[in-house]
Amino acid sequence: MKIISRILGGLGLAAFFAIVIVPMLWTVMSSFKTVAQIATDPWGLPNDGLKVENYSKAWTVSGIGDYFVNSLIVCAGTMAVLLPVAAMASYVIARYKFWGREALFGGFMGGMMVPQFLFIVPLYVLLTRIQMGTGVRLLDSHLGLVLVYIAFSLPFTVFVLTGFFQGLPEELAEAARLDGCGHAGVFWRIMLPLARPGLVVAGIFNVIGLWNEYNLALVLISSKENFTLPLGLANLTNTLQYTSDWGALFAAVVIVMGPVLAVYWLLKEKIHEAMLAGAVKG
Amino acid sequence: MKRRGEKLFIAAFLAPAVLIYAVFVVLPLIQAFWYSLFDFRGTNLDRMDFVGLKNYERLSQDEIFHRALINNMMLLLGALAVMMVLGLLLAHAAQSDKWWGKALRSIYLFPHIISIVIVGILWSFIFHPTVGLVTSGLKAMGVQDIPIWMGDKNTALPGIGVAFVWYGIGFVIMLLSAGIRGIPQDIQEAAELDGAKSLQKFWSVTWPMIWSVRRIVVIHTIIQALNTFALVRLMSNGGPSRASEVTLTYLYERGFEGNSFYGEATAIAVVNFVLVMILSGIVMLIFRKDPSGRTA
Repeated sequence: MKIISRILGGLGLAAFFAIVIVPMLWTVMSSFKTVAQIATDPWGLPNDGLKVENYSKAWTVSGIGDYFVNSLIVCAGTMAVLLPVAAMASYVIARYKFWGREALFGGFMGGMMVPQFLFIVPLYVLLTRIQMGTGVRLLDSHLGLVLVYIAFSLPFTVFVLTGFFQGLPEELAEAARLDGCGHAGVFWRIMLPLARPGLVVAGIFNVIGLWNEYNLALVLISSKENFTLPLGLANLTNTLQYTSDWGALFAAVVIVMGPVLAVYWLLKEKIHEAMLAGAVKG
Repeated sequence: MKRRGEKLFIAAFLAPAVLIYAVFVVLPLIQAFWYSLFDFRGTNLDRMDFVGLKNYERLSQDEIFHRALINNMMLLLGALAVMMVLGLLLAHAAQSDKWWGKALRSIYLFPHIISIVIVGILWSFIFHPTVGLVTSGLKAMGVQDIPIWMGDKNTALPGIGVAFVWYGIGFVIMLLSAGIRGIPQDIQEAAELDGAKSLQKFWSVTWPMIWSVRRIVVIHTIIQALNTFALVRLMSNGGPSRASEVTLTYLYERGFEGNSFYGEATAIAVVNFVLVMILSGIVMLIFRKDPSGRTA
């Protein structure tokens, strides 16, 4: 009995490993094959030398390089505003008493539970109206996408950072205040540097989420030159039926998948922690 | 004077976050419920005709929307059953300190961490009728009459379900592992001393002790299944002939893809949201009490 269940368990586990790993391995392998071999021999190893040119084709001809840059701009732009803005709000929520504090924190937390699609139409209309009223281009623009990404990333970021600031020792702030630091001075000079681990966790988590974000970008971005990676990749799959350049497409998938998996591999524990905290809270 | 300075500081530090959040999250959220009561189209943003519950009435008679709702529910029930069983088995395996336990812990979140877009594309490749892994694998095994997966109305939705589980299982394993790890060591040891076999121990200790994590898993899956969009859009786009349509692909079609029936599209979003709330509410009621008598 025991041996049978051991064997079954082992087989099941092996099957799970295979189901997780094989599709990814298959993608990497296919990205080095010729189009002809991909079509005729999906399970085989590359037999015509490693087609590295699939990658250069994906990067230039298929436009993945441009989408990569767009994604970088959008992620960097979002983080540059999100992290300081969220840190300031979280610090005040965590360490000051003021009227409406609980309600404000609750309001931010509530945002973690509401699905994106509930906002999408009013958001689209709102951006259209602001654009018509001010002349600032927000639809089909990185600026508009960044603004929306900041707003949608605030709840989780405030949640993580508030927890961090609450955990910092009060004595340090008091000492600095005695030395003549104002409230803002204590924050910028003492507290923010101490909260760096929290900023790193929040930053990594948000970047992974935004690097992969599809739904909002799909609605808000329409022209090819503004596509982020997920949009560009999805578009590439659509046009595949005309170009049928499978090799470049597989290479493109690897280019998008690679960095995320690498970051995950380096920071597994931190990401697990943040995901668990978010799930239990939300 | 000092007090006033502090107030000013608090206001100044909160202002940017509150402003961005209010304009781009809170305002559209309120507007969503409001817009769903209007005949409001993208062709003329200045015109909003109040129609009361007309949009909802139309949806209640819309067969495509019914199909979409049924598909969402099938996806939910199918995926939940599979993920709960597999998730528990694998979460147990992941507790081990042997090499395979460690290996499992490092890979099970892979599918969840790569973009949902990649998951959709990957699985549409895998189910591709000519270059796909599944078809060519089955062919090699000598199977005949292989369906064309995403092009077949009987296999499109189950195929999407497979991708959905592949993407979601890691997160479920993570939650259940945390639950199992959280069971106090002495309770586990007491059960072992009483001579409980592993299956007995599971039903008498593990299953009741992880009730709150099970609740999170169920609610999380409800949210994910009802908000499925990218997978369907990339793998089948709701086809063939709406066999795999879900509410959000239908919303996208009504609101953005060539159409701009904003009132109707927001009504779909509101129905979807209310459904998530009702289902989660029912789950909270069912799982309200701790079966072992402790409070949450």
